[in-house]
Amino acid sequence: MESEYKHRITIAGREALFIITAAVFLGFAYTAVMKKGFFLPAEGQSYGTVAPVFISYEEAVQLFNSGDALFVDARHEYDYSQGHVKGAINVPLADFKLQKSALSDVKRDQTIVTYCDGAECNSSIELAKLLSAAGFTKVKMFFGGWNEWQSHQQPSEKVNP
Amino acid sequence: MAVASTAVGEGEPMKKLLENDYIVAAIRIVLGFVLIIASIDKIADPNAFAVSIGYYRIFNTTVILLIATILPWIELLCGMSLVFGVAVRGGSLLSFFMLVVFTAAVISGIIRGLDISCGCFTNDPKMDKIGWAKIAENVGLILLSIATYFSRTDRFSIDSRTTTSISSIPDERKDSLA
Repeated sequence: MESEYKHRITIAGREALFIITAAVFLGFAYTAVMKKGFFLPAEGQSYGTVAPVFISYEEAVQLFNSGDALFVDARHEYDYSQGHVKGAINVPLADFKLQKSALSDVKRDQTIVTYCDGAECNSSIELAKLLSAAGFTKVKMFFGGWNEWQSHQQPSEKVNP
Repeated sequence: MAVASTAVGEGEPMKKLLENDYIVAAIRIVLGFVLIIASIDKIADPNAFAVSIGYYRIFNTTVILLIATILPWIELLCGMSLVFGVAVRGGSLLSFFMLVVFTAAVISGIIRGLDISCGCFTNDPKMDKIGWAKIAENVGLILLSIATYFSRTDRFSIDSRTTTSISSIPDERKDSLA
């Protein structure tokens, strides 16, 4: 009985090695000929994470009106309470932890728009990077931020104490 | 009495199953077809498959492309090996290991709360989401691989006509093979 198992694993190992070798050869030969995989002539191929993209004020308004995007305010709680994009949730960059934030239950393919005050702040960019690393695939950064939103008198709201 | 007879007969139904020419061949061919079907989309578009692997957020781009280049061909060759009954032991051993690794990846994805497509049969990101149903499916396939590996007959296979076949060795000689 013992020897039968030993015999079987020896054969199986040899056969498995043969299949793997053939697969490596076929895989590289096929992708080289078809110009796919490693041989696809495309710059900056990246499959690990989907990088966040910048959007303009107009695109932000469009996303806001479509109702599909979740606006995320990266500023401190105090700034958020003084006024924010209508319907936005507050995820301060300072204490961002995905598990504890309001985003932990959000679907990873949900369109998310991060913003902070505007051109002078970076927290929306930093937060967007963290979200993209956490698996969100449609993260957008509204660089104009709260200042631009407010100057156009777009829908906003406050937190009433 | 009943208890005693069960104890004596333990393993008997399993042994019978693994000796049944038709059941063993059916299991082997079903598993093989599943592997072949799974490989087609990935071979057709390795870069789309690479995107699917990327969703798991485990590997970097180079490793992902390496997997996308080789893995679909291992699946295809394993599938063909099982369907035609060539190198069945190696094919079933490899499919067992592949399925265990896939299942581990799916479990890790579920634990991390990734809402992603499995990338198992299609590269469409909206189809075939990871979840417990996928794990159940994989466990089923793992059991089929184990059954094929330990099968005690290779009727209806090409292996049965070659000298590497386990069943080509007469029973009385198996024990002397140390």
